[in-house]
This record gives sequence, structure tokens and C-alpha cells, in this order.
Amino acid sequence: MAEQRFIIQRYDPDSAESYREEFSLDVQPGQTVLDCLNAIKWEQDGTLSFRMSCRHAICGSCAMKVNGSSMLACQTQVSEAVELGDPVEVAPMGNQTVIKDLVVDTTKFVAQFERAETWLEPHEDQEPPEREYRQTVEDFDHWSHASTCIHCGACYSDCTVAAVDEKFLGPAALAKAYRFVMDSRDSKREERLKFLAETEGGIWDCTRCYMCVQACPKDVLPMDAIMELRALSIEAGYTNNHGSRHHKGFASGVRKRGRLDEASLPIQSVGITRLLTLNIDAHKEMLGYTPGAIRLLKTRKLLEAAKRHGASQDGREHIQRIFEEVEAEKHHHDVDADAFAAEFETALGSG
Amino acid sequence: MLQHDVLIVGSGLAGMRAALEVSEDPSLDVAILSKVHPLRSHSGAAQGGIAASLGNSAEDSWDLHMFDTVKGGDFLVDQNAAELLAREGPENIFELEHMGCAFSRDEQGRVAQRRFGGHTAPRACYAADRTGHAVLTVLFEQLLRRGVKVYSEWYALDLVVRDRVCQGIVAYDILTGQIEAIAAKAVMFGTGGYGRAFRVTTNAFASTGDGVVMAYRSGVPLEDMEFVQFHPTGLQGSGILLSEAARGEGAHIVNSDGYRFMADYAAGRMELAPRDIVARAEQSEIEAGRGVTDLQDSVFMDLRPIGEERIRYALPSVLHLARDFAGIDPLVDPVPIQPTAHYSMGGIPCDINGQVRLKDQDDAPIVGFFAAGEASCVSVHGANRLGTNSLLEAVVFGRRSGRGILDVVKDLEPTSIDEGDMARAIGEVDKHLRADGPEKVGAIRAELRDTMMDKCGVFRTDEQLHEALADVKSYQERYERSSIDDHGQTFNTDLLDAVELGHMLEYAEVIVSGAIARQESRGGHARRDFPERDDDNWFKHTLAYREEDGPRLEYCAVNMEPQHREAFPLQERTY
Repeated sequence: MAEQRFIIQRYDPDSAESYREEFSLDVQPGQTVLDCLNAIKWEQDGTLSFRMSCRHAICGSCAMKVNGSSMLACQTQVSEAVELGDPVEVAPMGNQTVIKDLVVDTTKFVAQFERAETWLEPHEDQEPPEREYRQTVEDFDHWSHASTCIHCGACYSDCTVAAVDEKFLGPAALAKAYRFVMDSRDSKREERLKFLAETEGGIWDCTRCYMCVQACPKDVLPMDAIMELRALSIEAGYTNNHGSRHHKGFASGVRKRGRLDEASLPIQSVGITRLLTLNIDAHKEMLGYTPGAIRLLKTRKLLEAAKRHGASQDGREHIQRIFEEVEAEKHHHDVDADAFAAEFETALGSG
Repeated sequence: MLQHDVLIVGSGLAGMRAALEVSEDPSLDVAILSKVHPLRSHSGAAQGGIAASLGNSAEDSWDLHMFDTVKGGDFLVDQNAAELLAREGPENIFELEHMGCAFSRDEQGRVAQRRFGGHTAPRACYAADRTGHAVLTVLFEQLLRRGVKVYSEWYALDLVVRDRVCQGIVAYDILTGQIEAIAAKAVMFGTGGYGRAFRVTTNAFASTGDGVVMAYRSGVPLEDMEFVQFHPTGLQGSGILLSEAARGEGAHIVNSDGYRFMADYAAGRMELAPRDIVARAEQSEIEAGRGVTDLQDSVFMDLRPIGEERIRYALPSVLHLARDFAGIDPLVDPVPIQPTAHYSMGGIPCDINGQVRLKDQDDAPIVGFFAAGEASCVSVHGANRLGTNSLLEAVVFGRRSGRGILDVVKDLEPTSIDEGDMARAIGEVDKHLRADGPEKVGAIRAELRDTMMDKCGVFRTDEQLHEALADVKSYQERYERSSIDDHGQTFNTDLLDAVELGHMLEYAEVIVSGAIARQESRGGHARRDFPERDDDNWFKHTLAYREEDGPRLEYCAVNMEPQHREAFPLQERTY
């Protein structure tokens, strides 16, 4: 038994006062952060509020920040938390409004599932079979990990896009959308891919920071799901959006020059056709690049980028071969977005 | 006053399945109310599977499922209910599958099925070892699709019944601290079980028997409350559930000698005997000094015979739970386990359509009041529930309750709730917010849970049960002198803890009283001083009515009238 200090971020809704409060208690080996919060609440200060229920990482109630990262309090051993910082700092989840102490308003998070319509839409035009639909083990194994989401919100809490973009659907809802895109029983695969590719705050807004995968207490791998959705939406032809044009411009630049063509990428992302047809939104998007471009000009980076013509002949040929192999591979298998990206990065390195 | 045609209290499998059924009629206004967000409901913690005689893995039939259920329940099962459970099982599974439930698959692409305790065929349909989560999720998704109104984080304080007609409920909005009346022509309780009164339990903090006690206070008797299931494979100390699926997949249970002691208790089924039998065997080994670890309060479950690959694929949660909560890697070491309070066989008496009935001589209904799932007592599990039958019960009887409501609700008169109906609930909240007594809720609750575990646990005796009763009475008195710290309106969980403790103290007395009276051993109720089942005197359900000085016990007959076959006659229960 050892004395352990906790610093808890508190918020009193009646006085609208935020403050940090320290508590000390004896901790037994094997105790979780939730055990300690309960001990504090029951023995020291009953006003401390937090959500919790199952205490074994399945109900998803007790996600909060422990030493800065979002996790389930019930699944986190104090001994692990201490490794990240001592005293242990406990704070409410991020990207959501605090109601009281560690309790946040989850309305926005929950609404994302409704917006993404993450439920099975059965085939309207055909009766379901008398027994179950058949699904192969391989099929099931491909997406079932994404169905293990416990909707705790830890991923959303640590999401770097959600921090700046209220409209971002967020990792959990997107991963759940992926699960239905992949489920052969669902009738709305195409509509889902179109929506996810084109809606504001959809799959192309993810910055691949990986925080969601780190925060997830289950095996959902939200970012991987988002990347796979990107590949699937391009395959399905939903390419009339900034993200996929950027992707395409990125790839074609590399294919042509053997290296990233930063100078022309913004034009390709916004879309040459859209710019030429004087699409107002396209020009607004273009203007959005201006501050960055000015910074690049100031540091002469853009000029340097424009001056360089690309990789050596050998490098370019190597890259060409990679593209050809990946394309051949695509005919045989589903696109593996991660493998694709990894090859890309290797290619850039050698270019 | 808020108003709906139908109000479902509780958002686990039973409640959501009922709501989904009622929402089939778009002219009806249906709402769900729950003290936790629906996705936090404790049904989601069920791991191993949901039973149905699909026959995907081996030949099976509803008769066999029904027989296993009746025998598993030590014949205290209402056979008309068990018949429906078994007969309607497959269609309910297919329905969930059509809704998108993430069931694991077999080589033919069908719903995979595995073995489970007390079932003679591999009958447990599963989603790895997170089946409850998969079913709960899919039901919530479909409710969202239908746009059903949800009162999330609202706490029901009272059921309002006037002249045996249900009027609605009085509820507390946890976010704002406001108390509201919600009138409804039909109210269904799917409020879950009451395992939280025991120190070692698998149950969520939320499983405090609120609905059961609200019904009890409103004049409904409680049925068979003394039957509490102890699950044999709780993690030592915390009691966190390790799925029976582990044994279904081939895990061994051994004592300190490394001996698979189930050979001495149920040689025919070994580790896959029903839970009450395995739990008693463990407790007996522990009490005989053959326990493991320093505390000698547990035995070992060894998953290694299953093989690493299969453990990783079929039992990922078991693997994670042992690692995260006990620091043990089941691929390398055996896991210390002990009996843990798991399931409440007793509850609110109702018929096969979810209609709550007094089960007295007239079998009078409480008009407009329905119940399903663990909060109810149909009674489909009798004295002991078989694993994977609870999820099935919640779905089958949730759906049946929904249909039962649809059958009657249009003929029911509008109801109302007046200030007088709200007085008790308002008074209770007010009392807690103003109280300044010396006793603390957390301390009383801890003592209650010790008492129930140590004196009303796996094995019981007259002497210990009387001690338990005296303890509970003393806790009730101390509770009257308790106070809380938080006097605020917003998200006051301190207040809810206090209200929940009141419920626990109320039903604990009913459990103990029923256990004292029942001088026999049957299913989950094992008396050291009356070790045999006594069909001559005790082949009957307990009904506990609330009186000023404690429960008044009466009894009613077990249903022996299934519709599609002869009843299974009483026989000795050996495995």
C-alpha cells in the first residue's frame, strides 16, 4: 500500500468555477484509476462527479483524460498511470463541453452517429432470407473489429481535427460507418461512400495523426477504417472532392516527376476544371492556400520546389514500377490503403 | 406533466427490443427512459452468447432447449414460458441477424454456435465474447433509425399505480435535478437485476434493482427473490465476469492440487455443468482448504488447453480482462476465479406477454404495467438460469411485451399523475438533499454487500440468514440517519447513490426473508441445513408483499402447462 496523489480537474456548474484539486489516498496494487475515483468520492468528497457503470471496459461510461491522454478510468491501472506522470492528473474528455467535474456533454458526439446514419439499412426490394444471411468468416473478420466500438468517446476526445472543426464526423462515427459499408447485409454502400466522401467533415478531413487509434480502448482502429473508406470511395468514383483530388494530384505528381510536386498540388486539389469554370468555391479554396504560400515564398521554399524537376531517372523508373505493381495488385485484391501509403513513402524516400 | 402512449423504463435488451416492437405502429408515441445512456446498459456486458436451437453446429431442437432450461432451473420454471423461450428463440436470432448484429460465423457462413453449461447441444450463438454488446448495439442503432424518443440519464423514482391501473412514473432528470411526472397508458420495466447488493459481483454499479423496488412499493409482490445466481468464473477480488465461453471452448477448472475437481461433482458435464453446480463445487473446494493464491479464496481456471490461436480469436475479451484487471496472461498462467453474484432469477411477476400480474388467486393484472428481462420473473429460469438464456429471454420476452402492449394500449384510457402521486419521490430527494445525519452511504453500502455475500451467498444456513436479516434491518435504520455531501442540482451522483442504497436495503430484506423461509436447496438457493430439494413442500414460487414491518410471504404454483407438448415431469437433477 502506498500513498498516491491525484490532481483532479473540477468544475462547479453552480458557480461556473474551474479549479484543480488534489487528493491523496492509499492505493493497493492492482487498483484502477476508477477504483481511486470511487474511493475519493465515497470516503473524501461526495460532490466529485463522473460517469461509470460496468467497471470492466465494456459500457464505455468512464472515458476521461489521465495525464493528458483519453482512456477508460476503469481499464487503467494506477501503476500504469503513474508511469505517465506523478501525481496522476485526471481531467474531463476534450472536444466536449464540461457539465460538472469529469462529466461532459456527449450530445455532439452521439449526434454524429445519427448524421452518419450508422445503422443497417436493409434491402427494401427483397425479403430477408428465412434464416440468417450468409457471411464468410473472412468477410466477417475483415470488419468485425470496427463493430467493437463501445462509444466511449476517447477517440473523439483526443482527435486533433475535432479540436478545430465542429463539423468533423469524428473517428468513432466514421469507423462505424465503415463497418456498415463493409457489411454485405447493408443496402446503402454506395450512398454511404458518396456521403462520407463529400459531406463537410467527412473522411477527407482526417489528418492521419493516429491519436484515435492510440486512444481507443478496443480494437476499432478508427484511422485505418477512415483510410480504407478513402480508398473505397475513390474506387467507387466519388472523386469530385478536395480530398481525393489532392490524393490524385499527389500520386500523379510523384508518378510523373518521381517526387512530390508541392507547387502544383494546390491547383490540382482544388481542381483545374473548377478553377477554369470560375467556380466561386474553388477560388475561395484557392485563396485559403494563400497564407501558406506566402510563408513558403518568404522562406524561398516554394521557389526551390518549383525549380526542382524531380528525381533521377533511376528513381523515377523505380517509382513507376511501384505504381504498376500496386495497380496490378489492385486487380487481385481489395485496395489495402495502408500498404499503398507505405509503398508511397518508400518511393518518395528513394526519389 | 409529460405524456406518452407507451413509456419503456430501462434501455437494455428487453427495453429496447420492446420499444422497437411498439414503434412498428407509427401512430403510437413511444419513449424510452434510462438512468444511463442506452449504450451503457448492462446487457452490453454479457459475453458468451445467446441461446437458440438453430442446429448450425449439431442437431438440436426447441424441445431439447426447453428441457435443458427446465432442468437447469431445477424445475421451478414455468413451463409455458420456457416453451416460448425455446420455440421463439431461432426466429428472434434471425431477426437480430437481419438487423445487422455482428454474429461470428461458421465455415458455411451461418451464425456460429458453441457449447455452454447445462445445454446438451452447442446452442450459444455468439459475437466472439462480446455478444451482449453486439446485440445491444444493433438494437440501439435500429431505435435511432426509427427516431424513438430517449430520455437518457433520467432516473425513475416511482411507479404510479392507482386502483391497480398504472398511470406512469415520476422521474428525476439527472442533468438538471428536476422531478417530472411522465404519464403513459402503458409502462414497461426492463430495469435489470439486483446483484449490486453483493460484495463480489459481475454486475455494473447501475444494477441496483430500482425497478423491482418501485414495483414492490406500488403494491406488486416480488417473485422468487431468494434465487440469486453465483457465476463460477468471476475474477478473484473484483468478481468481474470471465465468460462461460472460456469453459465452452475447453478451459479447465482446478484446485490447489491441480485436480479437475468437477469430476467429483458433475462427472458427466465436468466444467460445463450449470453455473449453480460449478459455483458450489468451487465454494466447497475453497472451504475444504483447496483454494489457490495467498488468500486461498479462489480456484484456478486454466485456458491453456484451448490453445493460443483459438483464445485470441474466440475469447479476446477474456484475454484482455485477465490482463487488465488481474495482471495475468491466460496464455501463460491460470487465472484465479471465485463465485460472483451474477444474475437475479427473481423479480416482478408477469405473464408470457409481459403483463404484470399479482399471481394471487384472481391472478389480477396491474393494468398498463408490463415487465421483461432480468427485472421480471416470467419465470423462465426458475431456480437457476442457464448461460446464454438471459440474452434470449430479454429479446424474446422484450418482443412479446412490445406485442402485449400493442394488443391492449389502444383500448386503455389516458392516465394522469397529480401532485399527490409525486409527493413521495419529491420528499425522498428533498430529504437526502437536506439530511445532516452522521452515517455515510458508502459505508453502509459496503457493510450490506459484505453481509449479503458472507451470510446469504453460495451456501446459506438458518443461523447466518437470521444474522443477515438483523444486519439489514440495522442498516435500514442507519440509512435513515445518513447524509450526502452534494446538495447541487446538476449531475448529482451522490444523491443517486443514496437513492440506490435505499433500493438495495429494501430488496436485500426480501432476498433474505425468502431464503429463510425456503427450507430446501434448489438451484441457486443452497441451504447447508436443508441440502435436498423438497418438492412436496417447496415446489412453488415465492411472492413477497410489502408490509410495514417487512415482507409478507405467499406462494403460487409453478406452471406445468406448455401449449405444444407435455410438461416435463419433475426428476432428480444430476449431471
